[in-house]
Amino acid sequence: MAVTTIVGAEPERTTARIRSVNRRILLDAWRMPSFRIGFFIFVALLLVSAIYPEVSSISATKMIVKDKFLPPVFLGDKWSWDHPLGTDQLGRDMLMRCLIGLQYSLLVGIVTVVLIFVIGCGLGLFAGFKGKWWDTVIMRITDAQLSIPMIILAITILGVSRPTVPTIIIVLALSGWPLYARVARSAAVAERGKEYVRGLRVLGAGDWRILLLFAAPNILPPIAFVAVLDVARMMIFESILGFLGLGIQPPTPSFGSIIADSRKYLINAWWIATTPGIFLAIALTSINLMGSSLEKARNRIYGGL
Amino acid sequence: MLILEFLVKRIAQGMLIVFITSLIIFTLLRVVPGDPVRLIVGGMAPPDVVERVATKMGLRDPIIVQYGRYMRGLLQGDLGQSYLRPRSGMIATGGQYVDPTKSDMAPVIELILERLPFTLQLGGMALLFALLIAFPIGVGGGLHQHGWQNALAFGVQSLFVSIPNFWLAIVLILFLSVKLKLLPALGYQGFSYVLLPALVLAVEIAPFIIRTLTTSLGEVMQATFIDEARVRGLSRRRIVYSHALRNAAVPLVNLLGIQLSTLIGGVLVIEYIFDYPGLGNLTVVSVVGRDFPVIEGIAITTSAVFVFINIIVDLVAYLIDPRVEI
Repeated sequence: MAVTTIVGAEPERTTARIRSVNRRILLDAWRMPSFRIGFFIFVALLLVSAIYPEVSSISATKMIVKDKFLPPVFLGDKWSWDHPLGTDQLGRDMLMRCLIGLQYSLLVGIVTVVLIFVIGCGLGLFAGFKGKWWDTVIMRITDAQLSIPMIILAITILGVSRPTVPTIIIVLALSGWPLYARVARSAAVAERGKEYVRGLRVLGAGDWRILLLFAAPNILPPIAFVAVLDVARMMIFESILGFLGLGIQPPTPSFGSIIADSRKYLINAWWIATTPGIFLAIALTSINLMGSSLEKARNRIYGGL
Repeated sequence: MLILEFLVKRIAQGMLIVFITSLIIFTLLRVVPGDPVRLIVGGMAPPDVVERVATKMGLRDPIIVQYGRYMRGLLQGDLGQSYLRPRSGMIATGGQYVDPTKSDMAPVIELILERLPFTLQLGGMALLFALLIAFPIGVGGGLHQHGWQNALAFGVQSLFVSIPNFWLAIVLILFLSVKLKLLPALGYQGFSYVLLPALVLAVEIAPFIIRTLTTSLGEVMQATFIDEARVRGLSRRRIVYSHALRNAAVPLVNLLGIQLSTLIGGVLVIEYIFDYPGLGNLTVVSVVGRDFPVIEGIAITTSAVFVFINIIVDLVAYLIDPRVEI
């Protein structure tokens, strides 16, 4: 009887400790100036891209040809406050187009990473926990998938089927999960041998129960912190697809397609190509700052560095 | 003996991986909508001609039969023939009719071998530039964990990851090529045409190297053998260069194996922008033209290169640090 109480108390104590570790990582990251800078820029961008298109009467897709090639404020001689970032070759407001582009970019980035996280970690945990031939089969598929550069896979699928937001998300998720599967698998293998899992086995807990209720809360949060960095990576992929003409289709603006279209006007109207890039780079920097700070905090707490 | 055993095992595994890759790509191309025959015979061709050509090319057989035929060719070193590119090098357009079942189309293997050296040259230069940029910053950041060097490494890394490569390419073309006329940008007429695309790629890879170098060097510098080296009276330079860096190099070498797919993806876009005559450019053009045999050939080539380089990476990691398991 005494033995069962000790073993039974073990998992509870572990989860409580891990939860506080996660909170410590978040707190630690929050104390870094780089995290706060990234966080505030990100929130500001998020608010602007959510609010401005709603309250403004300017449309991102309506063409006003007489207003074409207006430069950004304080540059050139024809600028106006109506179009702070200027207008493009068809007289569409650049700021509005960038903001709508940012909305789609964020949507694709975040949803994709969530999907990747679920698929990759799910398969990885399962493979690592089940072991035997499940492990072999899943990991060999992962290796094969890793050896096809994701961009080739993505453009192969999108090049021959019609790119819409859901297909883009699915394609990116399909090509992004293997790395997560690997990380989750190695964590699960390490976790499988731990005392508390063996204890739970003795208590008669099933594989799924151990996996979902006890092992997953230990394994997943450290991976999730770093997944923030992948949101930025997926946003870049989305814009690359747009640039190749395989992303969100016009007239809906996306960073990639705006930049691709603007190449023709590069010499005379440089702002059409450069401002969306700077906009995207700022958004990505803010996400990367948060992600790297979280990663740093995690490494510091887990590795003592 | 250990190395030989390792090589045999990894090469066998690698072949399995290439096989699965080819199967995935082959099935995907057959399953997704988009009929290549339509593009080959031209939009004006009547449906019965389309069907006739498709049957003649074997595109109406079950996927598994097509795949078996493809694999038989592959084992003999034959990757098939392009649907769109005749031997002369011009791309067949929809208007003129080129019979793709005849043998006047370019063999895929030739198309790939012709372009592979260009891509390898670009990738090699990019890696060299990336190491040149990342090494001083990364080593500085790793040695001074709490100094400005670490903050610099962190900043450069966060900024570089956030710059979309295609945008950087366009901006650099605008400034370095068009405005300042320093470097040539489009096409390929000599070695100087590699520099600008390689620089853009280097900016893409450098942050990963910086990050790994700062973290692993930082960890190594805390190890006891570094303290002991100080006690032994070795100079700081000697400690850093012959003790710490050698130990920090293993994660770096491993990283190169993992980041290879980022590099390949970057190469693809960058080659397309700079109109550089490498494999990446061929991929984009082939995907748009639904040139299935070329896409399959490239997928097999890249996965083989990937497997090969990862074997080399593991071997090098072992040679640097014999404690690494292989």
